[in-house]
Amino acid sequence: MKRSLVILIGALALGAAIFGGSYLVSQRATMLCCAQPADDLSWLRTEFHLSDAELAHIRELHEGYLPKCAEMCAKIAEKKGELADIVGNSTNLTAEAQTKINEIAALRAQCQAQMLQHFVAVGQAMPPAQGRRYLAEMKQLTLGTNELMEQSMSGDTGHEHHH
Amino acid sequence: MKTDDSKLLTLLRQVRPLPPLPPRFQQNVWRRIEGAEAPVKPASWLDTLAGLILRPRFALAAAGVLLVAGVSAGTLEGRQLVRHDAQMNYLAAVAPHAVR
Repeated sequence: MKRSLVILIGALALGAAIFGGSYLVSQRATMLCCAQPADDLSWLRTEFHLSDAELAHIRELHEGYLPKCAEMCAKIAEKKGELADIVGNSTNLTAEAQTKINEIAALRAQCQAQMLQHFVAVGQAMPPAQGRRYLAEMKQLTLGTNELMEQSMSGDTGHEHHH
Repeated sequence: MKTDDSKLLTLLRQVRPLPPLPPRFQQNVWRRIEGAEAPVKPASWLDTLAGLILRPRFALAAAGVLLVAGVSAGTLEGRQLVRHDAQMNYLAAVAPHAVR
């Protein structure tokens, strides 16, 4: 009985080692061999099966969008710095702090609109089905997180109530 | 006749002295006899399983299945991680955290 138990435990340990070892080795090997070059657009090419011409067009759009995005981000960062200075010096929410919060929100909204506009343009540069899938995925990845947070805070499960 | 036998026995013992018996000799002899007479217990499921595991064919087949399962799961996971990393690279470029 005791011998059988030792055999069973040993076999389980050996089995776990074989599975775990082969899992880790193949995972690392796949990550090493399939790692894509440090190109922002490599994911688009593989995920949406883009041709060279489509990718070239999208790259043009991408490179045109990046400076605008960086500019907006710099503005938001600057406003956030100003807000931190105001909030750091006072013990309550002043009118000046509220103004800065509104300015940051406006900049974020502007930036989001610009981002969505870029997603639409990129989606249009793809074959129609892939473009729709791209747009849906990007909306979910960029706006979905906020929606989830808002839903969880309001206790709304996403179901609409019809009266 | 009987006295002759006992004399003969004494003489024989003197010629070939017997070694002393080990401690609990008789008790051990009886225990072995009882053990041999006892009915054979049926093997438990644990013993059956251990017996199966020790069979080379079963052991090799199980190791092979685990190896293939591990490699498949690892490759799948690796591909998903590569895809996720590439997606995050793109997302970080076009949608910084500040606006998400």
